[in-house]
Amino acid sequence: MSDPSTSRDLRLDFFRGVALIFIFIDHIPENILSYFTLEALGFFDAAEVFIFISGFTAALVYGRRLVEKGALYATAQVLRRAWQLYVAHVFLFMIFIAEVSYTATTFKNPMYNEEMRVADFLDEPHIAVLQALLLQFQPTFLDILPLYILMLVIFPVVLFGMQRHPLLVLLPSAALYIVVQVLGLSVPAYPEGHVWYFNPLAWQFLFVTGALLGHARIRGRTSLPWPGVIFPAALVIFVAAFLIKLSWTIHGVWEAFPGLLLKQLWPINKSNLSPLRLVPFYALVVLVAMRVPPEARFLRSAGARPLVLCGQQSLEIFCLGIILSALGHFILTEYGSAVPLQLAVNVAGVAVMFLTARMIAWYKTVDRMPALRPGIRPAAASGRPSDGVAK
Amino acid sequence: MTRRWYLRVAALAVASFHLGLLPARTEQARAEQAHAEHDCEVPPEMMQVSVKLPHLAARLKAREPVNIVAIGGASTTGTAAGSPELAYPHRLQLALAKFFPDVPITVVNKGVPRQSTRQMVGRFATDVIPEDPILVVWETGISDAVRGIEVEDFTSGLQAGIDEIKNRGIDILLMDMQFSRSTATVIDFERYLTALHRVAELNEVYVFPRYEMMRYWSEQNMFNFDEVAAEERARLAARVYDCIGRKLAQAIRLAAQ
Repeated sequence: MSDPSTSRDLRLDFFRGVALIFIFIDHIPENILSYFTLEALGFFDAAEVFIFISGFTAALVYGRRLVEKGALYATAQVLRRAWQLYVAHVFLFMIFIAEVSYTATTFKNPMYNEEMRVADFLDEPHIAVLQALLLQFQPTFLDILPLYILMLVIFPVVLFGMQRHPLLVLLPSAALYIVVQVLGLSVPAYPEGHVWYFNPLAWQFLFVTGALLGHARIRGRTSLPWPGVIFPAALVIFVAAFLIKLSWTIHGVWEAFPGLLLKQLWPINKSNLSPLRLVPFYALVVLVAMRVPPEARFLRSAGARPLVLCGQQSLEIFCLGIILSALGHFILTEYGSAVPLQLAVNVAGVAVMFLTARMIAWYKTVDRMPALRPGIRPAAASGRPSDGVAK
Repeated sequence: MTRRWYLRVAALAVASFHLGLLPARTEQARAEQAHAEHDCEVPPEMMQVSVKLPHLAARLKAREPVNIVAIGGASTTGTAAGSPELAYPHRLQLALAKFFPDVPITVVNKGVPRQSTRQMVGRFATDVIPEDPILVVWETGISDAVRGIEVEDFTSGLQAGIDEIKNRGIDILLMDMQFSRSTATVIDFERYLTALHRVAELNEVYVFPRYEMMRYWSEQNMFNFDEVAAEERARLAARVYDCIGRKLAQAIRLAAQ
């Protein structure tokens, strides 16, 4: 367990678990708890954490497969994972269709007939469903999985490139990111005029940089260069962005409070992953990497356990969070959005996520236990880092 | 004085013509009268107006004719209520006429359903400017949210529109989205609402908080579309538009003081 390249890095699970909880909270509109998530306190939000850690763990898991079992096997494993994500996405889309068709057919208010035609796509279901299967139709909140799927589909190329030389991957990725920032390129989606909300041409850079750091970890590099420079720089950037965003959030609630640099900096482009989001996020990564060691005791505490478990079952918990936030929003719009009810909805949703993660973890543990040899403890708890899904 | 007398006779003539011609309207007139008494009540904080409309205020002070253009989408057109007279721009004109009886005020309805903010800005040159308005009421954001247009495109469209109107020495105010309980679960309005209010704030433009008001009315169960027969719904929509028109008139009066 002393070799840092093979022991499980609970930080990845923990922070991915936190990101999943934040995604659930942020997806309930006008939710009081969303004032306490990354979205309210930084220029970036949980989406960056999720994509970055996904890139990092992909490099850890499949990089090792590549070394152990060869390129073909590693590629097959990556594509299998992409397929699982795809099936999950189609499942979420079915739930979305059910929700929208129900709303559209029970809708009685003529004031919205012309403009609020939420079910427009039901006019041409043959095309809408096809576009959804092609990941081109991305209703609200169903936009991050298509990005993740696409990232995994191209990941074998990233993986082989990194094996040769990290710069082979970093340079084209950074060049593409810069081109998008300068020219504002986007990827068209369905219906006409729409674009991918998470522009893959920009967000690939975050995934790839995560993967490069994961790759460096496999190669035995566990610390960042020039700690004396990089740490204070990251601290200054992160704190500055934090204070500015905090002032905006307070200003949004209480107008008399000034929003610092609001006129100059707002709005910060999320679709194209503006450098204003990216740089403070990397600053946070540096701070966490340097100040939270993988063996930090709190990561193994009972309090952190539910979050770690959520992070380890990230696909299931992500999908569950999307469904629960839609359900929570529905409850709040039906029964009024008083603060106690908001809190109850949040607490119930997070509890369901925790319990589900616990249940999946238990099931996997039992599943891996060798048959007919009851007395032996399973190795799962100290096993390899997983990318968060059952193998 | 003669002008007012003339206007009143004309208004009476039009009203009696309508009442005589369409028996259904009498019922509606009665309903509207009853409705007028409860006054579309909202909490006082929703009626706080800190931004001024200086050009409009000068016109009103000089008692010169006032042209207002209401540009927007389907809820400006007002088809849901059945006729343009029942849409909010006309209700606004009637309410303003009561507040400023000695100023001739016209509100022109330039609603076109299902247009994004950008598309509306494209209409300014043909639909808004030739009307020579002193105030533009710009109702927007619904189509952008329904179609999931990028928030950055939405904000830059708003900015372009506000600049175009302001640069011509015309006052502008914005009206945000309609609220509906059931669509709120499938359309993400929050990002667009936040963006619209923030652009308005940065440009010192007043936003009429239609979303908040309609949500308040919905929570108070004032206009319940689920519990009325299908043919009653247009009448209910007319009442909502009437409330919007009155409240907007109050807000404009505050901003033009």
